[in-house]
Parts: sequence; structure tokens; C-alpha cells
Amino acid sequence: MASKLSPFLHAGPVATDDNLSIIHLKRDLQTPTILRSYDKDDEGYSEGKVVNTRFGSFPHKTLIGLPWGSQVRASRVDTGSRGRRQEKKKKRKSDEAGLDASKEEAGDTPKEEKETVTASSGFIHLLPPTPENWTSSLPHRTQVVYTPDYSYILHRIRARPGTNIIEAGAGSGSFTHASARAVYSGLPSTEGGELSVSASKRRKLGKVWSFEFHEQRHEKLVKEIQDHGLEGVVQITHRDVCEDGFLVNEESPKADAIFLDLPAPWLALPHLSRSGPPAKEEKEDAESNGMDSSKGKPFVSPLNPTVPVHLCTFSPCIEQVQRTVSVMRHLGWTDISMVEVAQKRIEVRRERVGIDNGQQRGIQATPANVDEALARLKEVEGNFQTFHGQEPTGETTKPKKVKREQNPNNRETIMESLVERKVYKEGRLVHKTEPDVKTHTSYLVFAILPVQWTAEDEEKVRAKWAIKVRKTGDQEVDGEVVGVSRRQQKKAARQAMKDNAAAKKEASLSAPPSEDENKDLIADLEKTLEV
Amino acid sequence: MHSLVQPNEWVVLRLPSDTLKVLQIVPNTIVSLGKYGTFSSNLVLERPYNLTYELLDREAGQKDSGLRIVPASELHADTIAEENAAANPVNDDKVVIGGDGVEFELVAENGEVIMRSNRETIDDSARQTLTMEEIETLKQEGTGAGKDLIAKLMLSHTALDQKTTFSLAKYKLLKTKKYLRRFTILPMDVPMLTYWMMEEKDAAKIFEMRDEMLALVGCWANVHYSVAPNPEASETGGRWLMVDETGGLLVAAMAERMGILYPPQDAPRSLYPTEAQEKEEQALQTSAHSPDGFRTSLASTNTLTLLHNNAQPNLSLLKYFNFAVDTPNPTHPLTAHLHTLSWLQLISPELDTTYSTPPVSHTPEELLAMKSGKRGTYYRKHRRWARTKSIVDSTRNGSFSGLVVASAMDPVSILRHTIPLLAGGAPISIYSPTIEPLTALADFYSTSRRTAFIQAPPAGFEELSSGEKEQWQGDEDFPLNPTLVLGASIQTSRVRNWQVLPGRTHPEMTGRGGAEGYLFTGIKVLPAEGKVEARGKYRKKKAENEDKTATIKTEENGAGPEAKKRRIDADLAEVKAERDTRMEDVSQ
Ligand SMILES: C[S@@+](CC[C@H](N)C(=O)[O-])C[C@H]1O[C@@H](n2cnc3c(N)ncnc32)[C@H](O)[C@@H]1O
Repeated sequence: MASKLSPFLHAGPVATDDNLSIIHLKRDLQTPTILRSYDKDDEGYSEGKVVNTRFGSFPHKTLIGLPWGSQVRASRVDTGSRGRRQEKKKKRKSDEAGLDASKEEAGDTPKEEKETVTASSGFIHLLPPTPENWTSSLPHRTQVVYTPDYSYILHRIRARPGTNIIEAGAGSGSFTHASARAVYSGLPSTEGGELSVSASKRRKLGKVWSFEFHEQRHEKLVKEIQDHGLEGVVQITHRDVCEDGFLVNEESPKADAIFLDLPAPWLALPHLSRSGPPAKEEKEDAESNGMDSSKGKPFVSPLNPTVPVHLCTFSPCIEQVQRTVSVMRHLGWTDISMVEVAQKRIEVRRERVGIDNGQQRGIQATPANVDEALARLKEVEGNFQTFHGQEPTGETTKPKKVKREQNPNNRETIMESLVERKVYKEGRLVHKTEPDVKTHTSYLVFAILPVQWTAEDEEKVRAKWAIKVRKTGDQEVDGEVVGVSRRQQKKAARQAMKDNAAAKKEASLSAPPSEDENKDLIADLEKTLEV
Repeated sequence: MHSLVQPNEWVVLRLPSDTLKVLQIVPNTIVSLGKYGTFSSNLVLERPYNLTYELLDREAGQKDSGLRIVPASELHADTIAEENAAANPVNDDKVVIGGDGVEFELVAENGEVIMRSNRETIDDSARQTLTMEEIETLKQEGTGAGKDLIAKLMLSHTALDQKTTFSLAKYKLLKTKKYLRRFTILPMDVPMLTYWMMEEKDAAKIFEMRDEMLALVGCWANVHYSVAPNPEASETGGRWLMVDETGGLLVAAMAERMGILYPPQDAPRSLYPTEAQEKEEQALQTSAHSPDGFRTSLASTNTLTLLHNNAQPNLSLLKYFNFAVDTPNPTHPLTAHLHTLSWLQLISPELDTTYSTPPVSHTPEELLAMKSGKRGTYYRKHRRWARTKSIVDSTRNGSFSGLVVASAMDPVSILRHTIPLLAGGAPISIYSPTIEPLTALADFYSTSRRTAFIQAPPAGFEELSSGEKEQWQGDEDFPLNPTLVLGASIQTSRVRNWQVLPGRTHPEMTGRGGAEGYLFTGIKVLPAEGKVEARGKYRKKKAENEDKTATIKTEENGAGPEAKKRRIDADLAEVKAERDTRMEDVSQ
């Protein structure tokens, strides 16, 4: 069982050995790295394991033990030694071939690691892994579900601590990580740590039941989940779910929630039933092809029989949605709804129109207002007249001369503009949508499968809670009727009147004028419905 | 989680018109659906959630209706028939009246024709009108939960023949919603509460925070179940800091993510503590003999710490989860896991009476001599004080795992006081209905401002310890220390609803206007500068911090002006890029 805690769930205060950390280089550029104090793979750096980035090299031992969020300077690492590593690998091969490689032996021992020296430039921030930064930095093997979609999906399908969630296909594991965080409610072996009223009670332990039929992806994900210390929360099964359903070792995951990111979710749906796939009475119901009831085994439902099951399917095309929804209706799913999520990132900046930046020569800034434009025109006019030997008329406007002799893009000029002119405060604060917008990810179909309620169930409950029905002529007991306050009742009555009027209007708009009596009839009929 | 309707639980009834009724299912009462009728609450009690019921016709001499569960097949019968008709197009226009006598269909051509033509007419059979007698009988009967009536009503409506099947279907849908005496019973949870507040109750109260934004807020703050697996490693547990002025919706949403919103399934769900629980409580109180021994029953991890503006927090929406702050039920997980304190208690606790005046202590002998009522008061006072003290002290100690905010106050002022309380790497999530407060905030963390700050720190800043640097209250140019937050960004997200029906799939045509809703995110970081010491006066765990200091110090070899220059160089590229795009914009 997992002896270490997943940094996704219990990051703790500092980065630790053998755990995943996120090397934050700059916005949208992060490198996930498992920190190792000891270079098992022996990449040949004298500093041990090293993360090489465009902002410098960072030996793992300069990172392990640092508080999360630390800004870390690059170290001076002789990246040339990488070449040696290649050589070494080659040598190893030859070693296998029976050649002498004893010279390299010494290099394999970590003893040789030398002290790190801070480099002259570059830094990173060291961050704890979260599903959010993992999603934006993970190695892509498929399309992945991003934060705006998965956050909404998990919210809608009620994935909470203690939930058993089915996920298929797992793909690159983006959704897997997000759902693991959502359903995690402790591990069986680490029960009862906290002394508190609620924790002392028995809790249901949440779990992700993940399925992937692509062999390499499955393998990669199994490894990743182990590396991330999530094997106690995520169970991955190598399976074609459309063919073989969702039982794991013949047992039911007892799912409360389901997420299907598959090309043909409608083929998986018949397995996600409470009582087995329906008999094929309808011949045109070709969708139910996916299941095969001929196996003769009694049907075991992968669903939790005691709760309404929430489902979401994720499909890029509208045709997929239509097929999925149609099959859902036939299989008894209710509350079917479909949405799209559109997220936008907003860029905030200072627009400095008309402000002389003193940057590139030759570019004339747009005047900020008419006065400025006028002043410039006058200036040009003045120069022109001077040129023709006439005295300039009116006020002379002196061009704002910024030291043009120096390169406006050099360090000093920028620093000056920042520190002395405080350009960060200049201009108008504006915002706009960032240039790249994902305008369509996928369509999200949601549905609910209520609990099966049998006549016996109903009988039992009726015995416990006797039905109370008022007889005409009974005395009204105050406070007996719940559900609507006086005010609400009045409001309902008003609304009913409005509806009535609206219906009449609707009728009168569409009905031929000769049908006046008919309208009245309709109004009449409508009234009969108002108890 | 929500499997059966529990006694006194809050539920939501969704009516055919899509309006929602929020009520408590109290045993042995009558539930009224206004014009739709009334029924006994015992008919839905301990039945499953998400079922759709139909009010049956009242039996002679009875005031209330019985209920019938409407199976999903019946709910979808319309659409499935429509789909089948579209799949097997018949050449003649026709009107089909529900074969089973319960439902009815009005079906004509397949989808394509519907979309093309605006002049399709339906068969003569649709032109029937009702006779006076028929209507009278219908009125008297009041039958079939309105369905017969709708069918007949529609047929009697001769204008129908002028409509295309497309609009017919719409027409039918509207009518159906108005008249069917059905309702669906739904659990009151956070998505439901949000939807109801947004659509019906009071969107402004919750800052028009939609589900999609609420979900994003929680994810970006990394809020999740995080009880430290063992007490020795308590720092591996999660503690989140919050400011919530939505009446408790945000608290509820975060609590739901942490598994502390709903009582555990086996715990009694009653709204008020049972007698047994009250006894247990008393026993707990009386078992303590010294003030230190007063049980505060506060959890130390997997907690939410809420900062509030008034003397008492406004958490009125938590009542839907059977929690009241002033009379907390001891079995409700929020009682131990939700810690509340006012801004005064955080910033100047010595000015807060509750915190600064511990109640007088009595010796065990004195206590024994007291009347039981008086002793009870004594214990209650002590417990209240101990709870407050414990919350205030632990909050001021900082090291929170994340910050979640939805407040009408200026986020700058909130961050000034909360950033020092966050652990390194802790995420920050701030929701605002409008963007302006957030753009102003993001501007204080802009690359150029940070660069200027590092290049020429405010007077006296460099002499501060790193703890003091975190506490630094800002000045005119730098209202917040711009080096403490990484990756400040703003986003918005919007869900678009679609109608999916055979041949009529399209986005919904109307939606809700109002506030868009924005989210600011960032991460608290620890700038590598000089030496790092204990983080400010809020921190107490000296020993632990000194350790960290040591680690950093070794890292900091060769710091000083050189280091500063390096950081600036890295930022310079960004500043340049920022300015160049600006130039392009301007020169166009
Ligand atoms: C788009 S990817 C899923 C991405 C994933 N949700 C994520 O966030 O990273 C779809 C995955 O489903 C897998 N898949 C497709 N059909 C499957 C089936 N019938 N059974 C199991 N997995 C399947 C594919 O191999 C692919 O990896």
C-alpha cells in the first residue's frame, strides 16, 4: 500500500525526495519533475540529477527540502558533461557485449557529486503539483480535458470526497488527476488520523475507477499514478469498455458518478445499467449493439444501487451528442441536458497612447487627444515656415526630446523608464481577451439515472410513514401545509393569472378572427386546471 | 450521497414550468404546489431523489392528491416517438394522438422538411374542435392530470394547422409545461442551491456566481479533502482561508469539496440536536476541570477559516444544509471544521472583547458548589472563549494552504492582510462579479511594476526582515508587495445550454444577462532575496522556520546586488515584449 503521501493530496510544507514537483519557469511554461536526491539513471552530471531549462540548470539537491513557492536561482552546471553521458551509454552497450568498461565505473557513484555553485542568471519557482498545473504541463498522449471543463463536470456530476467515479478512457490522465483530488477521502490504511467529531465516524472512501484500452497509454498512466502516490485512490484497468463493461475483477465499482471521454459513448452506456441491458424489443434500436447478453452470467451492475448516478459524456461533435442522448432516453436516463463551456483568459495591460516612450526611433506615437494632435500640427507648420524664412507664428511648441542618443531597448533606458518615470502607472488600465481562445472543446451531456424503486420498497416505507390525507370538511390546522408561504401562494396565483392572459394572447394572435368562441373555450379550459 | 429524502431535509421540487420550490420535508404535513394541488409529505419521505411524480386525481371527499412515479420511459415517450417518426418518414402529414391514452404526440414530417418550409399544414384531422358539451364534461372530470385536456385543447385550437411542425412542437412543449401536474424531487446541494439562487431567488446576494465559476474557484484554490493522515504530520493536512460575502454559498461549496458539508450518512440528520446529543455535549463540558482542558472540539486540518466583516458571520444559506452558526449541531462536520473570526480579531485581537477578556476561572471546589445552571453558563462561556482564542491564534500563525475570496471589499485590502498568512505555494482564488477590481489588482502584480520594485525598492524596505517584507503594508506606487504573488491572471467562463431534440438541436435562444463573473488566480511565493526568516509576527513556529531559514541561507550564497540584477534581467525580456506589443498597437 502507499506508504508515501501523494503530493497532489498532501503537499506538506516542503518539496521532498522522490515526489513530483512543478518547476515553474514562466506563465504557461512549467516542467513537472520527480525530485531525486540520488541519480539512479546516472545522467552523468557531477551535481547528481539536474533539471535543465531555458532559464538555467537546477540540480535536484538544490530543490529538495525547499519550502514550496521558493524562488530558486540556477546553478552553474557543466552541461558539456551530458555528452559524456551519451558516450557512457554507448559504452554500456559495449559492456554488455563483453568489452571492458571499468574506466566508467567511478563515474557511477554519487560520491563524485560536487557542490553546486549559483549561476549568474536565471531562476525558477518551485511549486507543489496540483491537477491544474499538472494538466497544463503533463506529457500529452491524447487530447486532454482542461480545467474549465473538468471543474464544471466534476461539480455537476457530484464528484465529492467519498464518491466512486468511473472514468473512461483515461487517455493522458488529466481528468484522472482532477477526479482523484475530488473524490479522495482518505486511504484505508491511514484511517482515523484526526481527532474530531466527524472524522471519528466511518467515512466512505472515494475512488477513481479508470479504464483505458490503448496498451501503451494504460501502461504509462499506471506508472504515472504510482509515481504520483495516487495508487490508493486510482484503480486503472486495461479494458475496452464498450465491449467488456466496467466490472473490475468481476466486481462492481459501485459507481456514483461516471465520466465518458470516448469516441462512441453510446456503446458503453448499455453496460451502465442497473438491471442489465434491456431486451431488444425495438428492432431499429441498433444502438444497443454494444452489449451482448448471451454470456449467460447474471448481470452485475457497475453502479451504486442506493444513489442516483450522475453521468457526463464529453464529445466534440454534435452527431455524437445526438446518438448519445437518444440512447440515454431509451435506457431510462433522466434530466438529460447538454452544454458547452467557453473559457476566456483576460489580459490586463496599460495602454499608453500618446505617451512618448522614447523607444524606437522613427515611430511617432499617436496623440492621446486633439490638443496633442493640434500641438504637433502647429509644430510641423512652424518648422515649415521657418524653413521658408518666415517667423513662426503663435506659440512655439518644443518637441519633447528624449535622449535619443542611447538605444531605447537597452537595460539602462528601460530601468530608467520603470524606476524614474514609473511607466507601470502610466496610461489607462485596460483589459482584453487573450489572443488564443479555445472556442470549442467538446459538448458535455449530463444525465441522471435514479434509483430503482420497487413495489416492495414502497410498501415498506408506507408502513413506516402513514399517508395523511385531509378529508373535505376537516378543520384546517395552522402551519400544516408546507411548501408555500402565503406570499408564495399569492405569487403563484398572480403568475397563474398572467399565464392565463398570455395564453389568451397567444391564442388570439394565432387564431383566425372567426374563432372567437374558441378562444373563450380555451380560456375556460385553462381555468378548470386551477384548483 | 443523497439517496433517500430524509425527515426535515431541505429539498427542491422542480415543476413542469421549470420553476423550483424549495422546502423542508417535515413528516406528517401537507405539501402544497399551489394550483397543481397538495399531497402528504409522507408520500415522498424516505423515497429516492430524482424521481418524477405525478399528482393523481383526488379521490372523492379528499382534499389531497396521491402520487404516482412517472417512469423514465413515459417521460421520454414524446421524444422517442418523434424520433421514430423522423427515422421512418411517412409521406402524409398526420397527427397522432397518444396510442396509450396517456401521452399524445403531434407529429408530422421528418426534420428536414420542418426546417425548410414554413408553410407545412397538418391534416384535417387536427381541425377538430370541441363541442360545448365536451368541454363541460372535461371541466367536471378534471381528469388525467391535464394531459387529456392538453391534447384536446391543442386539437381544438384551429390555428394549429397554420403552424409548421417545428413551431407545433414548441407550442406543445409550452402547453405541456403549463398543465402537467408533475414534479421532480431533487436534493438540495451546492449546484442546486447555486442554480436556484441564480435563477429564482436572489442572484445579487451570491454575486451572480454561476456554477461554472464556483467550480473554477474551488479548483484553482486546490480545495479538497485533506485531513492529515497522522497527527504528527499535521502540516500535511489542508487549511483554507476564506472571505465569503455570499451568505455562505462559497463556504458551502468549499465545504462540499472538502467533505464537511453533509453529516456522515450514519449520523442523525435532524436539524436540532437530539436529547442524547445534548447529554453528550454536557458530559463533555462537565468532564473538563481546568480552563485549558475545555474541549473546543475544533479540527486542526481539513478546515475552513472564514474572515467576516461584522461581529457575526452571515452564513444564512447554510441553513439549507441544516447548519446554523449560532446554534451549531455537534454532529455537523462544519461545527468542528468551520472556524470563523472577524477582521478585528485577526488584525487587532487585543481590541476584541471576546478574545481579550478570558472569563474568570473557578476552582473545582467552587464549581461543585455552583448551581448546575450557573455551572453550565460558566462552561459555555469558557468554551466560547477557548474556541475564539484557539481560532484567532491559529489563524494568526498563518501557513494556510490556500485563499478563497468572494467579497464586495477591495481585494487589495484583503490581500494586504491575508498574503502573509499563506504558506509558500498556496493558491489564491478571488471571484468578482465585475472585472474592474480584479484588473486593478492584476495591475499591481504586473511585470513592469515588479521589476521596478526589485530595481528600486521603497525606502527602508531592504532593511526589513523577510517576515516584515511579507507584512509590509504597501505604499502609493506599490500597494502590495509585487514579489509575493506569482502568475497573477484573470479568467472568465461561461456555460451555454443547448436543446437536444430530434431534428431540433440548437443552443438555447435566451439566457441570463447580468454580471459576467471573473476569477483572479495567483500563487503565493517566497522571493529569494537575502535571507528568509520567520514569517512575520503572525508566525509562532520559530523552530520550524529557523530550519527553513538555514536551508535557504545556504542557497543564498552570493546573493546581494548580483542576485537582484539577475532577476531583473529575466524580467526585462518580458517588459520589453510587453512594451513592444503596445507599440505595435499604437502605431497601427
Ligand atoms: C480523448 S482521450 C481521453 C483524455 C482524458 N479524458 C484526459 O483528460 O486526459 C480518449 C481515450 O479513450 C480511449 N478509448 C477509446 N475507446 C475506448 C474504449 N472502448 N475502452 C477504453 N478506452 C477507450 C482512447 O484510447 C483514448 O486514450
